[in-house]
Amino acid sequence: MDTRPYMQDRAAEEFFSRLERGSFQTTRCLACGETHYPPRIVCPACLGEDMEWVDLPREGTLVAFTQQSDAIRCRRPDVLGLVELEGIGNVITRIDAPFEELRIGIQVAFATWTSPDGVALHQFRPLE
Amino acid sequence: MREAYIAGVAMTDIGWHEEDPHDMGARVCAAALRDAGLTPSRVEGLISTPHGYMTGARKMITQRMAGYLGMECGLMLEIDSGGNSSSVAVHIARDRIRQGGINSCLVFAAQRETPPKEIRGDVVGHFHLIKDANSLYDSYQAAYGVISPLPFYAMAIQRYMHLYGITPEDIARVAVLLREHALKHPQAAYKEPLTLGEVLESKILTPPIHRHESSEMHDGAAALVVVSGELVKDEGRAVRIAAIREAHDATSFIPYRGEISRFPCVGRAARGALDESGYSIADVDVAEVYGAFAGMEPMMYEELGFFAPGEAPAAIEEGRTTHGGEVLINPSGGRLSLGHPAYVTPLLEFVEVVRQLRGEAGERQRLGASVGLVHTEQGFINGSIVAILDRLKGQDAGAR
Ligand SMILES: [Zn+2]
Repeated sequence: MDTRPYMQDRAAEEFFSRLERGSFQTTRCLACGETHYPPRIVCPACLGEDMEWVDLPREGTLVAFTQQSDAIRCRRPDVLGLVELEGIGNVITRIDAPFEELRIGIQVAFATWTSPDGVALHQFRPLE
Repeated sequence: MREAYIAGVAMTDIGWHEEDPHDMGARVCAAALRDAGLTPSRVEGLISTPHGYMTGARKMITQRMAGYLGMECGLMLEIDSGGNSSSVAVHIARDRIRQGGINSCLVFAAQRETPPKEIRGDVVGHFHLIKDANSLYDSYQAAYGVISPLPFYAMAIQRYMHLYGITPEDIARVAVLLREHALKHPQAAYKEPLTLGEVLESKILTPPIHRHESSEMHDGAAALVVVSGELVKDEGRAVRIAAIREAHDATSFIPYRGEISRFPCVGRAARGALDESGYSIADVDVAEVYGAFAGMEPMMYEELGFFAPGEAPAAIEEGRTTHGGEVLINPSGGRLSLGHPAYVTPLLEFVEVVRQLRGEAGERQRLGASVGLVHTEQGFINGSIVAILDRLKGQDAGAR
């Protein structure tokens, strides 16, 4: 049973393969300088198609969090959350902490996470 | 421009059905045409939707029905726009009739899902359906195993509660009220009363959402007959589509920017429809609102403009959204307690508002209802449709 997610576009494939190598990056348009999240192969700002990959911020703010009951991975007791990266936007991610200890607004930092079924993903962990 | 009217409505009981969706569809199409006083030979347009999300695809649903009931159409469409699908159909029917291309359009939807119990009982055998559900979400969301919008709604509700100091009791109360409404609806999926304690003690599915605060996916079917004025057989029972407006945000499920507990498309659709109709939100007597979770209902009432942000829970507690209140919202029981076959849901909302405006809503009738609102949405409320319905001038406001 192949549980791997469908990669539905080329920029996503690239994002997750960079993540597997420890990079947390997105695209920036070489023509107009716009940074996108999620990454794109075409720029929504100027419609250019030439991109470079740039580092995303590795610290952010916890906006919201929950636990999935039915899901292919990242199920309870894992926490699924939304982290706001300044100047970028909201990133959906795993949160590496017990649900009960989390609060909206705390600062969290990037880490990698390999799911039990072997998918390389990111997670964020509360800062001390 | 010509006006368009809803002249016939029909729905099945909502629940879990064995019947093939084609047969459910045929029965509601026939019943809606009888209600409108029309025969299949008078149907000039036919629009439908898929039969469900977790079904495996059956194609050419609309064409099959045209052949089955003998309808020689000038317009035939099958629309897949998520939860909005069947209200997109009503929108197109109305526009084509107003433009003069056709004089009548039958809109139907019939849904029968693969029961969740069946999927849980054989996950391996159904894994292709689970992966299809996962592929509804973009790669960044799907990668975390998401197979339903529950976690997104859960986070929106969490933020709404956080921002406005809304309590779990405030949310649970919505589920209790919608169940009270549904108990007056003989076709609703749920027949048992529900208490605040039962809601709060029910299992937490995806925090903060309790089991009784989350609508289940049901089966059922519904149909509407939309016509121009010349095909209205009974002026006393025709309801005018005074306005309908569609608005989408540039998002797909969880927004990557901005506040996730706000849904700007809802307000844009509502303001657009109200402006076009000439009514204000205060003129609305009865509304059917697409809130698939108890926690989403107050947010939707606020986005539509019935209440200021953060104020709907208090209004609900004060009885302002139920019988005897200033506006009767979700008299059908809503998605939570009427039941929620998602492709059919917009038509169920239209059916309820039409019955209310005709004075045919039985025990749940709002006396004198003359202006109604229907709100539908798709995805994570990434897009919304709002329709304003009213009665023909000179119609008697009382219940029949
Ligand atoms: Zn650009």
